[in-house]
Amino acid sequence: MDMITLQGIAKRFGDNHVLKGVNLTVNKSEVVVIMGPSGSGKSTLLRCTTYLEEPDEGIVRIGDYEVKAGAPTRQRQAEIRQLRQHTGFVFQQFNLFPHKTALQNVMEGPVVTKKMPLDQAKAIATELLTKVGLADKCDHYPSRLSGGQQQRVAIARALAMEPMVMLYDEPTSALDPELVREVLQVMKNLAKEGMTMVVVTHEMGFARDVADRVIFMDGGVIVEEGTAEEIFHNPQEERTRRFLANVRH
Amino acid sequence: MALVLSSLPVLLWAALVTLALAVGSMIIGLVIGVFTALARISKNRVLQKTAAFYISVIRGTPLLVQIYVVYYGLPQVGIALDPVTSGIIALSLNVGAYLSESFRAAIQSVDKGQMEAAASLGMTYGQAMRRIIIPQSIRTAIPTIGNTYIGLLKDTSLVSVITVTELLQMTSLLIAKTFEPLTLYLTAGAIYWALSALFTALQARVEVRVARHVRQ
Repeated sequence: MDMITLQGIAKRFGDNHVLKGVNLTVNKSEVVVIMGPSGSGKSTLLRCTTYLEEPDEGIVRIGDYEVKAGAPTRQRQAEIRQLRQHTGFVFQQFNLFPHKTALQNVMEGPVVTKKMPLDQAKAIATELLTKVGLADKCDHYPSRLSGGQQQRVAIARALAMEPMVMLYDEPTSALDPELVREVLQVMKNLAKEGMTMVVVTHEMGFARDVADRVIFMDGGVIVEEGTAEEIFHNPQEERTRRFLANVRH
Repeated sequence: MALVLSSLPVLLWAALVTLALAVGSMIIGLVIGVFTALARISKNRVLQKTAAFYISVIRGTPLLVQIYVVYYGLPQVGIALDPVTSGIIALSLNVGAYLSESFRAAIQSVDKGQMEAAASLGMTYGQAMRRIIIPQSIRTAIPTIGNTYIGLLKDTSLVSVITVTELLQMTSLLIAKTFEPLTLYLTAGAIYWALSALFTALQARVEVRVARHVRQ
């Protein structure tokens, strides 16, 4: 069953065609890793998926929610919010709310957008923070947490909305090397539970262990895709080979 | 000294009027300031231009002229207000314009990832502003809010010209009876100074309190 369908997503910044009509389908419980050089359009594609970036053309469908590119009417804004409420998004820079504790960060989504009662939201948030290994950090403000801990809170915050899919935009790129593993471990556990995930990352180990499919993007198009084994050991395209050579040093 | 002591109760009572003018105008000014700032950064061009025009007019004209317009000018078009109401309206409009610029700068200084994170949870623009952006920008704006307030406290003396019996007006009335301008003006000045110092200290405490979530 298709969980995410992107059709003809196109995006220009001025004269720069960042995305040239990308099509992508992700099945339920599938984990897709997107790789590619910087400027390849991979982050923009992910951001267009929940309209954090407005594509110029294209259709996004997540579960039963569909939104087309177009003018920002009131109706369409409401549809985009619906789409977002069912889609977890994890940012490279975490973007936790600094004036709220870890627990309040996780509670915020359900309380504000679903009008969930505080005690219920608190129970869910506590459970999720426990799940990401931060039960003892509930009352800490983000400034007192390490990068890895902040990113785990950010994942819990996204999960609190009970999303159908999780999108990760370079979730470990801003982390010190020794903190990467704890974040990837949380993501692996989610994948095992059957969460549908799209991950923009350079972590080849993660792709090899977890990804059902690896997509290589360059110049605003999907250059090739396949299993991690196929892409890493037997790339068909010259651009993929060159990129992998650079990533491996 | 005897004169200072004997006039002190009356002056302190008048200082309460000054304080009430300042606090009242500040509260209304804060509301005006927030909404004007939001209008100024909105995508609606009519709101944007209206807010910019209001700010430009207020900042480009003397407060004294604004007070005269409200108290002496408006009755000509059928709006006759008592001195205190006129004073509070003029002061609120004035301080609101200055505060809106502080708020706008503070709102725009909040990292844009914050709005994105709020949006990614499915919040509306209004929810994101109210819950995420404005609370953070207030922290940034507190030093300028404090300075604006202390400026306002002193500016209330200007409404003495429309017969509001605040601290300066009361001082002048006492001087008319006693012919002791130096002593009484110095006493009034000392009271303004004490009030300013009090609020400066208060501001410092508020700044510490709102910064409690920031790493020491």
